[in-house]
Amino acid sequence: MSHIPQVLPTSIPIPSFVITAFSYIWYYLSAILTRIPGGPYVIPYIQKSHHDDPYRTTVEIGLILYGIYFYLSKPQQKKGLQSNRPKLSPQEIDSLIDEWQPEPLVDPSVLDEQSWRLSSIPVIENSGPSNHVNISRNDGKETFNDLFNLSSNNFLQLTSDEELVQVAKKTIKNYGVGACGPAGFYGNQDVHYALEYDLAQFFGTEGAVLYGQDFCVASSVLSAFNKRGDVIVADDQVSLALQNALQLSRATVYYFEHNNMQSLENLLAELTEMEANDKPPAIPRKFIVTEGLFQNSGDIAPLPELTNLKEKYKFRLFVDETFSIGVLGETGRGLPEHFGMIRASSIDVTVGSLATAIGSSGGFCLGDAVMAHHQRIGSNAYCFSASLPAYTTTTASRVLQILNTDKVIVSKLQQFSKMVFDFFVNDLDLQKIIKVTSFELSPVLHFRLLPEIRKAKFNYTAEELFETISRLQKRNATTKYIEPYENEERFLQSVVDAAIKKHGILISRNTIILQHETLPIVPSLKICCNAKMDEEELRKACVAVKDVLIEACQN
Amino acid sequence: MSTPANYTRVPLCEPEDIPIEVKRENEIGKLTSKKYLHKVKTLHGVPLNKPTIDTPPYYISLLTYLNYLILIILGHIHDFLGVTFQKNKHLDILEHDGLAPWYSNFESFYIRRLKMRIDDCFSRPTTGVPGRFIRCIDRISHNLNEYFTYPGTTSMCLNLSSYNYLGFAQSEGQCTDAALESIDQYGIPSGGPRTQIGTTDLQVRAEKLMAKYIGKEDSMIFSMGYSTNANFFNAFMDSKCLVISDELNHTSIRTGVRLSGAAVRTFKHGDMEGLEKLIREQIVLGQPKTNRPWKKIIICVEGLYSMEGTLCNLPKLVELKKKYKCYLYVDEAHSIGAMGPTGRGVCELFDIDPNEIDILMGTFTKSFGAAGGYIACDKWIIDRLRLDINTASYGEPSPAPVLAQIISSLETIIGKRNPGEGEERLQRIAFNSRYLRLGLQRLGFIVYGTADSPVIPMLLYCPSKMPAFSRMMLQRKIAVVIVAYPATPLIESRVRFCMSASLTKEDIDYLLRHVNEVGEKLNLKLSSGKQSPDGKCQRWDIEDVIEKTPEDCKDDKYFIL
Repeated sequence: MSHIPQVLPTSIPIPSFVITAFSYIWYYLSAILTRIPGGPYVIPYIQKSHHDDPYRTTVEIGLILYGIYFYLSKPQQKKGLQSNRPKLSPQEIDSLIDEWQPEPLVDPSVLDEQSWRLSSIPVIENSGPSNHVNISRNDGKETFNDLFNLSSNNFLQLTSDEELVQVAKKTIKNYGVGACGPAGFYGNQDVHYALEYDLAQFFGTEGAVLYGQDFCVASSVLSAFNKRGDVIVADDQVSLALQNALQLSRATVYYFEHNNMQSLENLLAELTEMEANDKPPAIPRKFIVTEGLFQNSGDIAPLPELTNLKEKYKFRLFVDETFSIGVLGETGRGLPEHFGMIRASSIDVTVGSLATAIGSSGGFCLGDAVMAHHQRIGSNAYCFSASLPAYTTTTASRVLQILNTDKVIVSKLQQFSKMVFDFFVNDLDLQKIIKVTSFELSPVLHFRLLPEIRKAKFNYTAEELFETISRLQKRNATTKYIEPYENEERFLQSVVDAAIKKHGILISRNTIILQHETLPIVPSLKICCNAKMDEEELRKACVAVKDVLIEACQN
Repeated sequence: MSTPANYTRVPLCEPEDIPIEVKRENEIGKLTSKKYLHKVKTLHGVPLNKPTIDTPPYYISLLTYLNYLILIILGHIHDFLGVTFQKNKHLDILEHDGLAPWYSNFESFYIRRLKMRIDDCFSRPTTGVPGRFIRCIDRISHNLNEYFTYPGTTSMCLNLSSYNYLGFAQSEGQCTDAALESIDQYGIPSGGPRTQIGTTDLQVRAEKLMAKYIGKEDSMIFSMGYSTNANFFNAFMDSKCLVISDELNHTSIRTGVRLSGAAVRTFKHGDMEGLEKLIREQIVLGQPKTNRPWKKIIICVEGLYSMEGTLCNLPKLVELKKKYKCYLYVDEAHSIGAMGPTGRGVCELFDIDPNEIDILMGTFTKSFGAAGGYIACDKWIIDRLRLDINTASYGEPSPAPVLAQIISSLETIIGKRNPGEGEERLQRIAFNSRYLRLGLQRLGFIVYGTADSPVIPMLLYCPSKMPAFSRMMLQRKIAVVIVAYPATPLIESRVRFCMSASLTKEDIDYLLRHVNEVGEKLNLKLSSGKQSPDGKCQRWDIEDVIEKTPEDCKDDKYFIL
């Protein structure tokens, strides 16, 4: 044993064959190790550590072995799944695969029952969405000429002016149509930046960001600034765009009663208390989400109270102003101007549309510089989609310039809106049938049947509808066909049809897709007015709509 | 432009005062010789082979990781010092007034400390038509890209950055005329949602034409490509349906699927065996927990992957889909118009009947020089979708000039307007793509993708080489796009050349010479020869490349398909 180096202290009673075996292993290992570069430094270290504490070596060897075992073994998760899986023979697998019968790609079952919806979509023939249009429906089987258009969202009609047409044409002659690239990759042109500056300046915010379509702005912005654990408090009648946004945001969403500030305050107080009890390591991001002018009902959010509450409870305020921009306030600057407030200090994030009152295309988001900057990297609909066509930005810029100086156009629109509103609200006959839900200055007049009438005629209530739809959604039913609701929609469509056929007036239903809606909603009709209408004609049209409504309800 | 603060704004540039011929030439170069055309051949339904991916030497990968490590460590030191000593400059990542910051320190680290350093290579403002040349607005970076100032000058750069595959980004010619005319007829605004007031006969015409072009019964057009995908899946999918998605699918598809609530399983990019295994497993296992069978399974792929330049393996996919009764969804955002003998996308390239594919989606931003997206299916499906898709009932429709551009460019492609022009454009893009691809390969660069792909990604690896390449190319008046993590795997940073029919052969020569020079300086010629059919390491001389490649590139034998 003299040629074998002694590696274990003699004080520990270990059987001699173990010592011999280990000694041999160690001898040859150290012989190899000395040849590896750096080996001469490692060996003395191991020797020393082993000498000082032999048990440590054992533990370390055990650890290394466990590490190797752990690395080679399959992940626990996989194992769990495999053990759950029934043992199937190849034949059984084949027969299972053979047996599987998928549902059709889309559900054809109620297409016939709903085909009236398809055939009632008006197709504008050969004319822009101006005040008088020719339409055809049902694949050209019905045509109607020179209808008075009461359903356009283009409330200011500024882009129909010859001047704006020239601006658009000049831009196309210089920039072509498409921008051919996303904003990050040479897609943003000088005109896009110019419109962003114009928007920021017009609305008095630090930054503005342009999007390609209004519908996806909210969902993209909200999900860029929220993650799991963040808190959103939302109005319970927000539009579908916002419902999608809430779903995509991953945040915890709480709803407060529509425009009910007491309900909101209670909720905020409760949430603040919850947070105080939980003591999270960092403050979560907290948003109050609402709409400026509600898409489905036409009323407006009480901004002063919202601002007070958000400041009191340290929330940020997110407002979708798709329908209120260009409409509310003396110069069309939207909700804050209507309440005599400053946008930058009252609303943290505004999303809006260039396709409504502004009369161009696309959407935008307004807010402080940090938020705007982060959106350019974090917001999917901005990063991963092509920029707007150049001509839409130059026309929108010009519209903002006009709004800056022109004080007449917005007030004219408001005057018409008020006129239509007064007519429908104050009419005693109509009061017995319908309920107007919109705000008096809203250019879109929303009205729905009174609950009593709905109950009598179609035998359901709004609550029942919501319950049914939630039940279907929970059950994941493919077909979400609810007959009474469908009947009411058909009834409203018959009103629309009668207005078209008898009076040459084009109004429209508020087209909602029930299967997507996650919040309570009822069918409604809407009348949109715009600033370039003839007052007398509009008045006549209101009377005509009243006539058809009353007639339809009597049948 | 009086106060200094205004200099940080992108200035509005006046269009250059140049004769119409020069302008035309700037937008689309005249074909210099009939030799520089190539007619794409179809692949006759043959499935693709497994792609060969060239890998760089190990030291390059190591350097790349080291590069990131240094950047990350420096960034963290920077953050620590900044938050400790310069609180007022870092308000955006700190809590203040009891409000959480817009984004957390950790979430935004990559953006603030890594991407910020090369911000001057992104979002370069441009003006005018993004045609053969693009007018970039000059800017000067300050304080490590914290802000830019604009001296007010512009420079004309060769455009390899826009998705202008067929060169329809033009400001004169039949498409522009059609767009201008449509404004007179239909106006600028679009009225309102499709189901209320937004449908015009122009739209109906465009949809019919598009459906006919693709070879489907019907189609639907939307005003934004991203939102076509993002708001499509929830119209017919729910949580009892399964989406089997390629791992490299575009964000818009992911957003759409997430919104629909459907379950998602991914398979490795292009891995057909993996896909088959996954489908079998999923049909047998069914939904998690309940083990009930899935209601429907839809396979989502892209026709041409814009970051890789690779094709989906369509013949194999169709075979699998039929065998297992799944549905197939193909996003042809980059391939429609740009691929196939008559531009009808991957179906035509593989010679597969479009009716074998359930849903075809695509965009108009790229080949058509317009904006928006479409979905093409059987008529009864479209009829259902017209009622169920969100954007049709709530969003804005495509405006008239965009539709006019779509119709006129489509008619040019099929030869109804200016017969011969569409064909020439298609053959030019095919030649240009092949020429540049083979040229780069012969010079020794690692290039991903298939022969006919108009997107040509060239690998750079080290993150520091991205800004270097981009800046050096800009100095040489060439606009290129660089992409890195998270759009690509961490170490595979790349530059992406987007080919266009508007470039001439001489433009590509110019490009090749400069890429060669820069590539040499930056040590980018790393290919091992795995990607060339003969397996030899290629380091051709630039003059040889320019001399021989134009003829050779038409031959499939020089490419691995």
